[in-house]
Amino acid sequence: MLMDLYELYQQMFYEKIIFCFSGPVSQNVVEGIGATLKLKMEVEENDINTIQKVFSIFVEQMQNLMNYSAERVSQEKAGGDLGIGIFVVGFREGHFYVRCGNKIHNDKLNMIREQVDELRTLNSDELKALYRQRRKEPDPDDSKGAGLGFIEMARKASQPIEIDYTAVDETISFLSITVCI
Amino acid sequence: MDRLCIQATKSTPYVCFDPASGTFTIKGECYPENAAAFFTPIFAWLEAFLPSHCKERGQSLGQSQGLVFDVELLYFNSSSSKALLNLFSMFECHTVQGREITVNWRYHAGNETVQECGEEFMEDAPNLAFNLVEIE
Repeated sequence: MLMDLYELYQQMFYEKIIFCFSGPVSQNVVEGIGATLKLKMEVEENDINTIQKVFSIFVEQMQNLMNYSAERVSQEKAGGDLGIGIFVVGFREGHFYVRCGNKIHNDKLNMIREQVDELRTLNSDELKALYRQRRKEPDPDDSKGAGLGFIEMARKASQPIEIDYTAVDETISFLSITVCI
Repeated sequence: MDRLCIQATKSTPYVCFDPASGTFTIKGECYPENAAAFFTPIFAWLEAFLPSHCKERGQSLGQSQGLVFDVELLYFNSSSSKALLNLFSMFECHTVQGREITVNWRYHAGNETVQECGEEFMEDAPNLAFNLVEIE
C-alpha cells in the first residue's frame, strides 16, 4: 500500500500538478473534471483561448483513453465498458500540459506512433490542411471517434506531441502522451 | 411536422428545431462520448423535414421562406466537428437545389477558437449562406 499520501500530495504540489486521476474513466469523469478544470483556470484569470485549448486537449486525451485503453472494467448496467488509465494536468515552464497514460495493444500503439510521427513533421498550416482534409473523409473503420483527435491536439499544442511507451508484455504496452499548451 | 427538442446535458447542446415558430437552435457544448449516436436523431429529423418543408412551401406558400439555423457552441470536440461539417454539407446540398438556408454561427467576442472554427466551416461549405455573428 502507498505509505505516505502527504508525501505524494506535496510532490504533486511542488510539481504544480493541478489534477491527477488514476482509474476507470467514464463520461461523468470527463464532464466533472473538465468543468472543474475550466473553473479553476477561470478563477486564476487565464486567457479564454488558453482555457479553451487546455480543455480541448483534455477532452481529446480522455476520449482516446476511453476508446483505446486495453485495460477495461465492465459496466454491464449502462452497456459497454470503461477504459482505465491515468492522467495529469499540470503547469511547467510557463505552459500547461496534459499527460495521459494507458495500456494499449501493440497494433493500436503502432498506428498511433505512425500518426504522431507524421504530425510532428507538419507546421501549423499543414496541420490545418490535414485536419480539413480528414474531416471530409469517411470515418476509418478502426476509429471510434472521427480519427481527428490527434490532429486537433497538434493544432492546439505549442510544441509537438510527445509520445512514450514501455512494453508490459508481448502484446501490450503502456503508452503515455504529453501535450503542452 | 413535430418539432425536435433535445435538452442540454453537460456534454451535449440544447437542440430545438421548431417549424411552427421558425426557430432552429443548437446551443451549448458538444463533446459526447459517441458523437455519431448523438447526431443520428438530428440528421434523421432534418432528412424528414427538409424535403417536406420545400414541398409544402411550393404548394401552399408559393414563395420562398428561408430557414435560419442559429448555432452557438462554446466548445465541441473533434468528432462533433466532423458531424457539424456533415450537417453544413447537407444544408449546402439543399441550398444548391434552390432551398433558402442560412446558418448564423454565433460566437462570443474574444473567443478566437470558436470564431476560427466558424471561418473554417464557412470555407468548407462555400455554397451555404454562413454568417459569423459576434455576440457580447
